[in-house]
Amino acid sequence: MLGVEAQKPPKGKWTTAPFDPRFPNQNQTRNCYQNFLDYHRCVKAMNRRGKSAQPCEYYFREYRSLCPISWVQRWNQQIQDGTFAGKI
Amino acid sequence: MNHQTHAFHMVNPSPWPLTGALSALLITSGLTMWFHFNSMTLMLLGLLACIMTMYQWWRDIVREGTYQGHHTPTVQKGLRYGMVLFIISEVFFFAGFFWAFYHSSLAPTPELGGYWPPAGINPLNPTEVPLLNTAILLASGVSITWAHHSLMEGHRKHVIQSLLTTIILGIYFTLLQASEYFEAPFTISDGIYGSTFFVATGFHGLHVIIGSTFLTVCLIRQLLFHFTSKHHFGFEAAAWYWHFVDVVWLFLYVSIYWWGS
Repeated sequence: MLGVEAQKPPKGKWTTAPFDPRFPNQNQTRNCYQNFLDYHRCVKAMNRRGKSAQPCEYYFREYRSLCPISWVQRWNQQIQDGTFAGKI
Repeated sequence: MNHQTHAFHMVNPSPWPLTGALSALLITSGLTMWFHFNSMTLMLLGLLACIMTMYQWWRDIVREGTYQGHHTPTVQKGLRYGMVLFIISEVFFFAGFFWAFYHSSLAPTPELGGYWPPAGINPLNPTEVPLLNTAILLASGVSITWAHHSLMEGHRKHVIQSLLTTIILGIYFTLLQASEYFEAPFTISDGIYGSTFFVATGFHGLHVIIGSTFLTVCLIRQLLFHFTSKHHFGFEAAAWYWHFVDVVWLFLYVSIYWWGS
């Protein structure tokens, strides 16, 4: 037992990604990818208008919970290299 | 004296099925030699054997039908069934490539950017040469119908003119398509877009060449007075095949060139 404190969940409200009727089937790849795109598009649009990117947090949490970490890492690397295929 | 009491054609023994099968063996193993061992000899030998088989087999059919009179109405009916079934099998052949195209284009993967045409692909403008090609094939469908009616009406000169028109339109299509292939900004190795585009249009182009060849053979036979106004199944088979090629192009144009851009 490594200490009771360490085994309690961190404080705050933690919800799983809600059901998105746009992606009703078992294969949730598109769900992950769409939220990843939407987060980056949201941030870009907010920055262009000089507003805070706080509302974009929702998409961030969605794709972080849905997407495999390796995909996120790969896509972020592609964005850095300028080889990301999606339209952001 | 012997004579048959049925309407069917009991064909004399022929070596061409065997040489055809052997050519298939040589072509397939020749492909392996070409892909993996950098040698085209076996494949070229196989292709030569295939072409010789086709020439001699079909020449013999013309001899049996036109010169020896073995093609009774019953026999002709069998040949019609055969051609129809063959064309149906070709429909299924193309259906596979259309399936592949729609599978990939209706749900584009993240690797492609999630949209179609994929990231980095500049598709050909469907209102330029592809539209001209559509008009060419549609016109060739009209000219071949003219040829058929002229044949049925016994109008020899018109048959020759309209058949020649059809063939020239077919060659024009092929040349234009070849130039498009040469000038296209994308290649067959440009992801799934390149693969689906060139395999589907490539096989179609091959069928245009086959159809044009078939029509040319019909033209030669017409010049040699083989066809009558009532009996000209070789021509009809060529016409069916040509219309099939035209229909496949229409599907290609609407799916890949137009919707797919």
